[in-house]
Amino acid sequence: MADNSTFQEGFNSTYSDNFNGTFNGTFNGTYSNNTNGTFTDTEEKVETIPISFYTPIIYAVILIVSLIVFARRYKESRLQKLAEQPEIFDEHDAKELYFELKEMSTKEKIHEKVLKAALLNRGAEAIRRTLKLKELGPQIELMYKNGSVGEDYWERFQAETKFVEVEFRDTIQESENLQPGWPKMFAALCQEICFNQALSRRYQSILKRKEICIKEWELKLNSDGTLAK
Amino acid sequence: MTTILYNQNSKLIKCEDSDLTETREISINQINKLSAAIIAESNPNFTPQPNDEHSKMIKSLFESGLAMLKQKKMPEALKNIALAVDMAQRGRAPYEAFGIQLQEIQFMLRHKIDLSLITGRYLDALQDIEFLMNTGMNQADVYIRKSDALLKLSQFDEAKICCERGLSLHPNETKLKALMLEINRRLAEYNGDN
Amino acid sequence: MALNYDYDETNETWPFFLLTVLLMIIVPLTISQIYKIFLQKDKNESIEDEEKKNILSKLNDKYTSNEIKEFRDIFETKKDSNILSWKNLIIIIGWISIAILIQRINSNDAIIDAAKGIFDPYEILGISGSSSEREIKSAYRKLSLKFHPDKVPKDLSESDKNMMEETFVQITKAYEALTDETVRENFLKYGHPDGPQSTSHGIALPSFLIDSTSSLVLVIFYISSFVLLLPYFVSQWWNKTKLYTRNNLHVKTAGSFVSRLVNYKPSQIATVDLIINWLSYAEEFKLFYPDLTPEDFENLLQDHIHNRDSKINGKDANMMKFRIVAKCHTLLHGFLEVCCGFRNLEMAIVCMDTFKCIVQGIPMSKDSQILQLPNVNEEIFKNGSIDEIHTLGKLFTFDNEKIGKILGIKDEAKLSETLSVASNIPQFKLLRADFVVPGEEYVTPSSTPYISIKVLVRSAKQKIIPTEKFPTDLLKESDDFEDLKNPFASMEREPLMPTSFAPKFPTKRRNTWCCLIALQKDIKILQTPYRLERLSLSNLSKDLDKRAIKELGPDFNPEDWEIGFIKLPLGQQAPAELGNIYMRVVIKSTDYFGADLDLTMMMQVREPPKVDELKDDIYNDEDSDENASDDEDLEDDSEDESDYTDIDTDTEVEEDEEEEKEEETK
Repeated sequence: MADNSTFQEGFNSTYSDNFNGTFNGTFNGTYSNNTNGTFTDTEEKVETIPISFYTPIIYAVILIVSLIVFARRYKESRLQKLAEQPEIFDEHDAKELYFELKEMSTKEKIHEKVLKAALLNRGAEAIRRTLKLKELGPQIELMYKNGSVGEDYWERFQAETKFVEVEFRDTIQESENLQPGWPKMFAALCQEICFNQALSRRYQSILKRKEICIKEWELKLNSDGTLAK
Repeated sequence: MTTILYNQNSKLIKCEDSDLTETREISINQINKLSAAIIAESNPNFTPQPNDEHSKMIKSLFESGLAMLKQKKMPEALKNIALAVDMAQRGRAPYEAFGIQLQEIQFMLRHKIDLSLITGRYLDALQDIEFLMNTGMNQADVYIRKSDALLKLSQFDEAKICCERGLSLHPNETKLKALMLEINRRLAEYNGDN
Repeated sequence: MALNYDYDETNETWPFFLLTVLLMIIVPLTISQIYKIFLQKDKNESIEDEEKKNILSKLNDKYTSNEIKEFRDIFETKKDSNILSWKNLIIIIGWISIAILIQRINSNDAIIDAAKGIFDPYEILGISGSSSEREIKSAYRKLSLKFHPDKVPKDLSESDKNMMEETFVQITKAYEALTDETVRENFLKYGHPDGPQSTSHGIALPSFLIDSTSSLVLVIFYISSFVLLLPYFVSQWWNKTKLYTRNNLHVKTAGSFVSRLVNYKPSQIATVDLIINWLSYAEEFKLFYPDLTPEDFENLLQDHIHNRDSKINGKDANMMKFRIVAKCHTLLHGFLEVCCGFRNLEMAIVCMDTFKCIVQGIPMSKDSQILQLPNVNEEIFKNGSIDEIHTLGKLFTFDNEKIGKILGIKDEAKLSETLSVASNIPQFKLLRADFVVPGEEYVTPSSTPYISIKVLVRSAKQKIIPTEKFPTDLLKESDDFEDLKNPFASMEREPLMPTSFAPKFPTKRRNTWCCLIALQKDIKILQTPYRLERLSLSNLSKDLDKRAIKELGPDFNPEDWEIGFIKLPLGQQAPAELGNIYMRVVIKSTDYFGADLDLTMMMQVREPPKVDELKDDIYNDEDSDENASDDEDLEDDSEDESDYTDIDTDTEVEEDEEEEKEEETK
């Protein structure tokens, strides 16, 4: 046993010496600076403020929920604002009249050609609006860019451009329902009608323009249209 | 929302609401005009091809006007040509080729304008000229006639503006240059600067 | 350097922090306020002086009704009450708090201690900064003898001993700082002989705010200011800027104007009444009077134009009317800009006519020029036996007595006032108009020209002076280096226009000429309107009565007359191709009828001159002068003698029609 004990002693002493020596040498030398500073600090905090496991989760949940609520509210208010924006076009008479006639046709007999007429009128109006918006687009964009027009209006205008396209596609769809195979001719007819209607609106306005000229220029005319002396 | 009424016999729609807007009224009239034209059309696949019958009627009316002109019956000539113009506007279907309709009406209006000017109906002439200009006519004679009409209506500032524009599109037009001198003279008188 | 941040336990730092912040705010504010009170007053007085001198401004005051004066008192005096405004209050409070802070800093020992810690070797040795090395040495020797630890008396207490030792160390250091090289360097670099001293970084918050009891308050304050208030105010500010367009139009108003023009159909004719109807939907009016409808506003505006008293629900509404009418100034400028955005010249011109109608408070008619004068009896004038008088110029072809009869003015004093208004309304006589490229003889492809218009500002009473009476060198473009660099600077030197004669308009105003430029080819406006606000009107007072002078005699001296230079920047370059481009320039007054100018100009784009590269600059300059005048002569007579032929429109009718038709479908 004595042997054993000395062996043990010897073993212990050499081993521990060795171990301590190398450990301290390598470890302290290289890592001491970093570990001493940060490690002890965090340990202290853990000791002073006990944080429940749920705390970060609650924090995250509150954060995400509030963000979601904010985003939704913001989106809603924007949509509402857009909806509140007055429409670009004052009326939708052509479209409304067509739907009124279509609804009436379920109750009383309406000549099929009258429905066609209303649809052609609607298509022509859609073309007029498409042309109009296409023509004004760059000008309104310029005004938006130099700050003469608000952002809401500009968004509304862009939306309107899409509405008009959808509207024209709808009328073409509808023409297929009224007379299968018609759409191709329908579009061509609409275009002619659109221009001719513009021409005739101009023509109709001649009388009104004349009256306004008489008023503005304080003209005195005879009943046959010649100047009164 | 207004309510519309449909007449089974005439196949026309109308609206008797008191708050009928102008645009809606125009739209209703357009539909009625279209219905009438389509109902008269026997071919269900009608095309923008101009209707020969219409063309013939308008032409004969217009030519009768020109015949009157040859006989120096100005008021009658004016009346017939005005009727022909009206006929072209009312009689033709809205889907008949636009190019042809436009040319037709422009051609007839030019004669009507000349007759209006000769018979001293300057305001009528002026309105018709403006119609021509708004439909893309930019020839020198349009400007000559407009400047002249404005001068006759004592709208010297307007006349000057019109004449200057005519000259910038047709810088060599001697008639416009002569008119310009006349306008400047009248304008000076109007402003007491002569 | 200390790594941890401390709060300001001894109240050393935060008063300085606060003081700096306060001074940063209060000092500029005070200066600007002082400037406003004293210098602005001078300016106001000089404006008032000038107004007293100007006949129209004087008469304007005289003819302004008491009701409008009352309105002005309510809405215009706000700016005058300088002394007790909130700004002054802030300044006073600011200076009081600065005084308190300074008082606090002075009485704070910690700060004084800190200040004492500053090392000054000369002071320690008790010598002046300019002492020589010998003086330093002797001072050191004297002091070290006195304070040397070996010389210290034995009977001193421990603390006194330490003090003495400390002093001795300081003395030694001070000596070394002035003699030893390395120590000296340390002193110069860091302000202390031992090298860099520890600097403390702290948060400039007083310690009482950090105490446990008030720390909650602080946290709440932080959260509320940075999480709630700051975003709130920023968003408020942002929304507000987004609410108004560049021209100070409410975005809704701008949107409604744009929509009106989108929906505008040729069957509607642009008239003053139509524009008044469009104006009445302005959001601004609604914000003033939320209970009123657009119809009410339209009626108010029409009442103003037709000189009627306004009543809403049986109650007097004149004050409302004035407020609405006064706002129209901004609205109409905004609408004009929208018209230009749509490139619609016709609408822009009607907009300007509406402007005049609203400013003068009369409807649009062919007699507007006459009816804008005071005292005119409309009935007598319109039923008068002499017809064909619609302009001021025509009116002045009659003698004064006759004018009195024509206008129905019996009172002599009134008549003379009416006549002085009539003769002081500025009118333009066009002398010359050119496209000018600075430093070039004429317009070359892709150059950047501007429009230069020379006019004679004249009175309707004066005999017209033909352009030939002005020698060409009077009308020549200035070729000063400064003017070449910035051709528009000369316009800024012109005097501001005097207050207009517009007694029916609720606020005092100055005339502005809005200059529109359109292409003659399609009569579309090219750019945003240019506002001309400065122009000398000195010619108006010159006597050249057309009734007395039939012919301009040899005594006529063109140098007596001031020529108005109007220079308009063009937003676009000249085209790259050669050719002639015709433009219509419309200059319309916001205030007076008959004060407009409408002209057509030709831009001749020509090949750039082939200059010999060896030619020197001086030679070139002379050359350009000659050529320039030739060129201008050409442009002047463009209407008469251009051999340029336009495109033959007949062949292209078909295409044109299609294109035009598309526009037509509006």
